[in-house]
Amino acid sequence: MSFLSRSNDEADNQSKSLPSRALLWLIASFALLMTPQLDRLPLWLIFTCVALAGWRWLAQQGRVRLPGRWLRTGIMLVLVAVYLVRVQGSFTVDTAASFFVLTVGLKWLETRTARDFYVLFYILVYLATVNFLFHQEIHWALVNMSAIALLLIGLQVLNAPELPGGMKAGWRRLGVMLLKVLPVVVLLFVFFPRMEPLWSVPLVSGQARTGISDTMRPGDISSLAQSSERAFRVTFGGPMPAYRNRYWRGLILDTLDDGTWRQGTNAPFRSPGRVNIDGGVGELQPREYDVLMEPTDQRWAFALEGSVAVSDNVIKESDDLFRFRRPADSSIRYRLARGGAAAPANATLGPGEADRYLQLPPTGNRKARALAADLKRSNNDIGVIRTLLNRFREQPYYYTLRPPKMPNDGIDSLLFDEKRGFCAHYAGATTFVLRAAGIPARVVVGYQGGESGAGDEYLIVRQYDAHAWVEAWIEGRGWIRVDPTAAIAPDRIESGLRDAVADEGSFLENSWGSAQKYGDVAIIQWASLQLDRINYQWQRWVVGYQGQSQLNLMSRLPGGFGMRELGYFTAGIVGAALLIAGLFSALQMRWGLSRGRYQRVLGAWYQLCVRAGVPVRHGETPAALAARLAVAEPVVADSARLFARMINSHYYRPQTTPQSPQDDAEDLKRLRRLLVTMKRQLHRARKKRPGMLRPNPYSGKHSD
Amino acid sequence: MSRLIRSRFPNWINNWINRRIPRADVQVLTQRNLFILPTAAGVVFGLLLLIMLLTGINYQNSLIYLVTFLLGAVFVGAMHQTHRNLSGLELTLVQAGEGFAGDDVIFRLRVAAGKDDAIALTLSGDEREVPVAHVPAGQSADVSLPVPSVFRGYLRPDRIRIETRFPFGLLKAWTWMRPVASAVVFPRPIVAPEAISAVDDGEQTASSRSPEGNDHAELRPWRDGDMSQRVMWKRFARSGQMVVADWEADKGSPHWLDFNAFAGTDHELRLGYLSWLVLERSKSGARFGLNLPGQVIDPDSGPAHATRCLRALAVWGEEKPRDTSAAQHGSRKRADIHKPEEATLGAQL
Repeated sequence: MSFLSRSNDEADNQSKSLPSRALLWLIASFALLMTPQLDRLPLWLIFTCVALAGWRWLAQQGRVRLPGRWLRTGIMLVLVAVYLVRVQGSFTVDTAASFFVLTVGLKWLETRTARDFYVLFYILVYLATVNFLFHQEIHWALVNMSAIALLLIGLQVLNAPELPGGMKAGWRRLGVMLLKVLPVVVLLFVFFPRMEPLWSVPLVSGQARTGISDTMRPGDISSLAQSSERAFRVTFGGPMPAYRNRYWRGLILDTLDDGTWRQGTNAPFRSPGRVNIDGGVGELQPREYDVLMEPTDQRWAFALEGSVAVSDNVIKESDDLFRFRRPADSSIRYRLARGGAAAPANATLGPGEADRYLQLPPTGNRKARALAADLKRSNNDIGVIRTLLNRFREQPYYYTLRPPKMPNDGIDSLLFDEKRGFCAHYAGATTFVLRAAGIPARVVVGYQGGESGAGDEYLIVRQYDAHAWVEAWIEGRGWIRVDPTAAIAPDRIESGLRDAVADEGSFLENSWGSAQKYGDVAIIQWASLQLDRINYQWQRWVVGYQGQSQLNLMSRLPGGFGMRELGYFTAGIVGAALLIAGLFSALQMRWGLSRGRYQRVLGAWYQLCVRAGVPVRHGETPAALAARLAVAEPVVADSARLFARMINSHYYRPQTTPQSPQDDAEDLKRLRRLLVTMKRQLHRARKKRPGMLRPNPYSGKHSD
Repeated sequence: MSRLIRSRFPNWINNWINRRIPRADVQVLTQRNLFILPTAAGVVFGLLLLIMLLTGINYQNSLIYLVTFLLGAVFVGAMHQTHRNLSGLELTLVQAGEGFAGDDVIFRLRVAAGKDDAIALTLSGDEREVPVAHVPAGQSADVSLPVPSVFRGYLRPDRIRIETRFPFGLLKAWTWMRPVASAVVFPRPIVAPEAISAVDDGEQTASSRSPEGNDHAELRPWRDGDMSQRVMWKRFARSGQMVVADWEADKGSPHWLDFNAFAGTDHELRLGYLSWLVLERSKSGARFGLNLPGQVIDPDSGPAHATRCLRALAVWGEEKPRDTSAAQHGSRKRADIHKPEEATLGAQL
């Protein structure tokens, strides 16, 4: 209650006495909390924060002075102005987060008192919270938790600067405390009812993310192939499909415009739903599979061909595509089921649709058009496709990550001159030729393949698995998949990009730090996969432990736990934990309390004396007390004197003759027996004088 | 502080505290007399946890839930730790000091830690705080707590507060000790009028006084009220002048300091004069006695005697504070009391 006023009064003293080491921990924690943000913070802000924290530290060392009020205000205004200019009015979670970081940086300049220290403590704890919004991997969680631990150490140092035992004792104390409270934390985590969001919160990042986009220029996907970032991970209820069948459809590009494929019709607008990452619960059925996707900020979900939605957070739209209810701004889990052959192929294509999938630019690529006309003349639709694929297979077409530049009439130069390209080139060219031949066709973008994670439990699909292929409409059979890459580089479809470009040596040629680049070194591969497995389990079971998964877990418990029961249960846990802690400390008090067994016996005797009407005086020796007791109650005179003598001989025994534990135990036993005797004697004596008033038992132990 | 407490707490809370904490010079800190509450920082921390929980709910972020629960549990753990810092501790008032009114009177306390370390304790009396750094388990430390005094008499702080905020400063555990023993506050010395006149008489008086402080008698003309024994009759016979010898430091002649010598002045003022005189006499090693209404201290010399006289002056007419219900001692609010202002004099003592 006197916290605020106190720090006001002592503002001047404390500016000198804010312990350096406490400040050091605070700065260390700040540095640690910045690391998860490094990739999204502007560079100038990082340097500013380092400079400001450094300034504060030098001031603590006495090398420089902290700025006065005017200078401080000036610095603040300048930095905020720079921030506003840089942000230019775009308000996203990223800009908000960087503003938050900026305020922390500015706060360093006015950390003078204990109160400022606490303000920084609060802000940094919340910064750790904000970090969890962006990164939920286990290592980032550890970083954030360590930062919070550093803050708590800093608080300890602030409150006891000259603590002997130093940091080691501080860490041990914190560690023991965390261990003690861990069970309660786990119980709360499991049972605290996961409510629906109270209001909808946007978490749209302005950050460009690695991943496929909704337009495809011929070079796009090959640049994506240089990234080994994870796109998503899949667990199958049944056996994994064969590598060549792992086609993850994402979106369809149906309009060719100036060499770029794009989505012809805009997706219908749907207002984003609330955050909802419920991705289905329970055991996976044999046909089901469970996808944990990294954030893309898009609404596309990736699915195998012919799937149906199982979890609520994905909706099946036209063209066999899946969309989330809201952009995937954090990692998201969803569940689908492979429908097998049951996918209903509508027999005819509507006239609008036929136009859409036959759209071509009016001019350009004359050779390709001629080729299409040629093929069309001698074949039916299936024949056209087959001949085209055979052409790819038989002629020297190359699959390469280093395609040449083909600026004019790219499809012509790919098909007839260069004959070198990546999947995007071939998919675009194939669609062009098919459309020119009057066959409705579209480019499908997504991923193909995926490597097994540790223990073959799940599949990891990475950005370099990004792929583009073609779907063509055959009357009577519906949409069929046509993959020119399979004809040119079967390795790519059978075992992945690494093998397909092995001769070229271009696999991840620019990402030296990626573990996947060294996939042929067993130990690196193993370590990377194990790490990924830990993270995957972490994300599935800890990060993804939300509403539905909680209710599912609870429904397995007897008694059918609902939301309300969970609430009661949580309250119960908190209450019980507090009660146990209280009881524990009470017992400790009662039995521990620096009292030996002798003192307990002595205490019992004092109680007996008080009950007998002889209040114990402070500082009275046992002998004197026994004498007074003997006067008050002559029946116990002998026992009391003996008792006092034994107590004396214990406490005033010469140090040179230590007593063995056995003797000690003997003595104690005799003392207790004496106590019982005295009690009995008193009881008997009292019975004989029934008229006597019982002495007041509340006449305090220490009489004034 | 205790006055603050008085104004801050309603009466019934005060009574409740007084019932819970009986007066004692030795106090073992247990659940019975330990109090624990969050500090302002702790309250803000609670609000922060609430905001974090809201963030966790709205973003459906499990890790935010996790860190919120962890920090909440740490808060409860800190409660335990803060409590344990003090529990089992034994606080003993070793000595209630002595001093002059207006000075700080030192209360010496012994803090003996129980089974656990007692970390970052603060002792506070009336508006003074004394940090006690750290008392390891099973050891003890002595602390001097200055208590400002205003009036002469018995000084007993109503409550001495012992507090800790370790480990995180989010909670504070504290208890009060309500001491039985009281310090004795001597009257503030005030230069007595007689002495002032003596100084005025001649500049040489100070120099003529020998360091040993005996033998030298001070000669001055006779004034009304001088005792006839002290007139130097031989000299009178020789020169016809009535000269009086002022036996400054003659052990042989007992010099009485008399309460009744300052007729017409306020009692407290007289005590102040006497206090000054006692100090003066004892400084020069003179032999003197003290005559107070109802109490006479026979002439003697030496520091022990001086202290005895000062004590007698301090508690003259004062009741020894007895029990709980009594008014606060050392802070009487008598309107007519002369507040001592001669700070320079007191500082030399």
